Amino acid sequence: MISFVPPLSRLLLWPSLIIALSLWLKGGASVGGGFPAGALAGLAVLLQYVVTGRDQTRRYVAVRYAAPLAGVGLLLVVGTAFLPVLAGYTPMTLFPRPDQAEVGVGGLHLHTALIFEGGLMLIVFGLVVTVIDRFALRTGTQEESGP
Amino acid sequence: MPLLLPILLALACAPLAYVAGRWRPGAAAWMGAAGALAALGALVHEWTTQAPARLVLPWAPTWGLSLEFTRDGLSGLYAALALGIGALVVLYSRAYMPHHLAEEGRPARDEVRFQGLMLAFMAAMVLLVTVDDLLLLFVALDLTTIISYLLIGFDREDPESRAAALLSLVLTGATSVVFFAGAMALGLQYGTFSLPLVIERAAHSPASTGALVCLAVGALGKSAQVPFHFWLPRAMAAPTPVSSYLHSAAMVAAGVFLLQRLYPLFAPATEVRDGLLAIGFLSMGMGSLMALVADPFKRVLAYSTIAQYGYALVLVALGSEGAPLYVAIHAPCKAALFLTAGAVTQVTGKKKLSEVSGLRHSLPVLAAASAVAAAGLSALPLTVGFFKDEVFFHALARRGPAFMAAGLVGAGLTLAYTLRLWWGLFGGPRQDAPAAPRLLVAPVVVLAAVILLGGLVPGLLVEPARAAAEAMRGEPSTLELAYHLDARAENLLAVGAWALGALLFATRHAWTRALSRGLAAGSRVGAERGYRLLLHQLDRLSTWLHEKEVRDLRDRVASVLVPTGLLGLAVLGVTPLRDRFKVGPVGWADVTLVMALAFASAAALATLRAKGHLRLVLLISCVGFSLAMVFAFAAAPDVALTSVLVETTFTLLFAGLLALLPRARLERAQHEAQNPRGRDRLAAAVAGASAFLLSWSALSHLHADRVGARTVQLAEAAHSPNVVAAVLTDFRGLDTVGEMSVVVAALLGVTSLLRLKGRR
Repeated sequence: MISFVPPLSRLLLWPSLIIALSLWLKGGASVGGGFPAGALAGLAVLLQYVVTGRDQTRRYVAVRYAAPLAGVGLLLVVGTAFLPVLAGYTPMTLFPRPDQAEVGVGGLHLHTALIFEGGLMLIVFGLVVTVIDRFALRTGTQEESGP
Repeated sequence: MPLLLPILLALACAPLAYVAGRWRPGAAAWMGAAGALAALGALVHEWTTQAPARLVLPWAPTWGLSLEFTRDGLSGLYAALALGIGALVVLYSRAYMPHHLAEEGRPARDEVRFQGLMLAFMAAMVLLVTVDDLLLLFVALDLTTIISYLLIGFDREDPESRAAALLSLVLTGATSVVFFAGAMALGLQYGTFSLPLVIERAAHSPASTGALVCLAVGALGKSAQVPFHFWLPRAMAAPTPVSSYLHSAAMVAAGVFLLQRLYPLFAPATEVRDGLLAIGFLSMGMGSLMALVADPFKRVLAYSTIAQYGYALVLVALGSEGAPLYVAIHAPCKAALFLTAGAVTQVTGKKKLSEVSGLRHSLPVLAAASAVAAAGLSALPLTVGFFKDEVFFHALARRGPAFMAAGLVGAGLTLAYTLRLWWGLFGGPRQDAPAAPRLLVAPVVVLAAVILLGGLVPGLLVEPARAAAEAMRGEPSTLELAYHLDARAENLLAVGAWALGALLFATRHAWTRALSRGLAAGSRVGAERGYRLLLHQLDRLSTWLHEKEVRDLRDRVASVLVPTGLLGLAVLGVTPLRDRFKVGPVGWADVTLVMALAFASAAALATLRAKGHLRLVLLISCVGFSLAMVFAFAAAPDVALTSVLVETTFTLLFAGLLALLPRARLERAQHEAQNPRGRDRLAAAVAGASAFLLSWSALSHLHADRVGARTVQLAEAAHSPNVVAAVLTDFRGLDTVGEMSVVVAALLGVTSLLRLKGRR
């Protein structure tokens, strides 16, 4: 039986990821943020795993390197938090400072908090995808060597 | 910032060597050695052309912290040692490691890892000697501890090697924590961690004895002095280049270096210095005696290190200006002897003195070079070693005949065991061995040349030795190095020591057996046995706790929930109760909210009777979704969005997890959950009541205008109109960093655990 679910899920992937990115970018100003963005992106990948299976989903680079991506995310988070320290600011100083002018176009505000949120997004995404991947690997091997 | 150049070059060596090693494993050593030599060049250039300087990089000024580096005599001398000997040892490893790895049955690629670790060790050492700040000093100290752990345990398939690495980590790590306590005490006492400031303020109010003892314990553990000495001989399980570096220019020197760097603090505390003096003499005696009977030649050298750093400790305790010089002269001698031992082992495959002899015929160059090094170690004239004993005797001669006698015996023993070692390797009946690779011999020859050069032209050493002594004692130094042909006490003592050493060596067959029997009896009650007992007891304690904890999941949950619940109830109990529990009005506007909450409560109640884990997971996610609904109605769309997404993800992950668990275990858990025991009910009641009362109390005290309005204002100012985002990234940003680190740690756990299971 040819199901409409696999193609539909594949179609859904990119829009979900783009929505996730937009959630990240608008997080500072309105509803959104790095955490939900990462969770949404992770969910989109989770859907792929459920519908098309591990091998199909692992064709995507971001899925194969999800765990290193989380590491990159941690670097971004820690970097945003502690790089200002080198310049003599307190940890977690964000730029522009409260008395400085903002830079931004429309709903997009350029702010170092954006990098921080990006780090959060990558960490959450990495965690969700890696855990799914490990589960999928485990069930896969169990079925192969099953009773 | 010219001062940083050598440090940065030293720090760059390991990554550069790694990159070169990716291209070709053999290139790592050459790249690393070139980097180390470049750093050495930069250091020497700066040292000769510029005056001593300090560099202060403000780090967290609000906390009064800064990164401080110094270029003074002490840092220059020790950094030059670390870099110079580091470069030679790395080159030596190029010839040594392929053979070693082949013997261990490991791929040749591992050489890159080894070289990277060696160079990182070197960089940590350079960092340690150049920082001028108590906290950074501690950080660098722990860096050397961790890297030495990895290096000593480099042969990870070998249980003895792993045990030795663990022993050194536990001992030097534990003592460095004690050092940290001392550093914190000093920081609190003087209100700063910057060393020059601490020393300046200590001139008016001397440091407390407790802090000084803590600092001394850290240093003694590092430099393997009694009673922490036993990790060092065990660390011989490491590949020989590691031992060579560890004993000459790195780890062990770090301990004595700390004492020299902090000497101005110790200067007024005579009782602490007397303690150090006693420990120094004790280490000197014990190390020498053990070196006289040890059979594996690396062990002879290890005990000799304990003894030699005992001398250095004596010099520091006496406040002698020769202390830095002593360590600096000892380093090339000891490094060369270790490298000789490694070369002999590689060529002959033997590790014990009783198994080799007469190698002078097949390894003439090595024999000659190591003879120079041995002469240096035992302070014979025309080698630089002569001056190391001269400063030693000079310091002792001031203190009286008892000290002089002790020094005489110590130096005599040194000559005896060094002669025994060299003669055991190269003297005696002829044995033939294949020729040694040139790269194995060349570093020894270079070191021997340095030792000879220093002995022939002692004037070269005067400047650095004086600068180091000045940096240590904070006053101008008048140290002199020259040969004097007269009957001064130093010369008489030296001649006496040679005579004693020669006598001991000549009569060695008469007393070796009795001495080794005596030492074996002594080691049965020594510190090492205490350590083993302690470790055993700790192991038993942790096993007992583990058994208690994992026996039952319900007990484990209760052990977290009950104390938390009791704590919450206690908090409610001790705070005033007025207006604590308010019941607010419920209007028509709240109907949706009440409905969502009712739904959540119903789902929560249903979990009590749920059969099957999947149903349980779904019910729990119902609770989550209805709470998300509450947030949505309570005008917190942000939180609602996040909780919907998180709830969905977790439901699916839970379902995936359930698919992984064995059916039998799930059924047993289900059975247990359906038949709660009395104490389960009690634990649930305590935790539930506490959570309920705390939430009620907290919600009764919501003052929107107090916290909320202020947060909204601040969020606007922080360019982040979304209050939740502002709190998450800005106001409580450090919390988020911490939480995210926990998430990544969990991720690492998941990856390794599930991969491990999958492999099986």
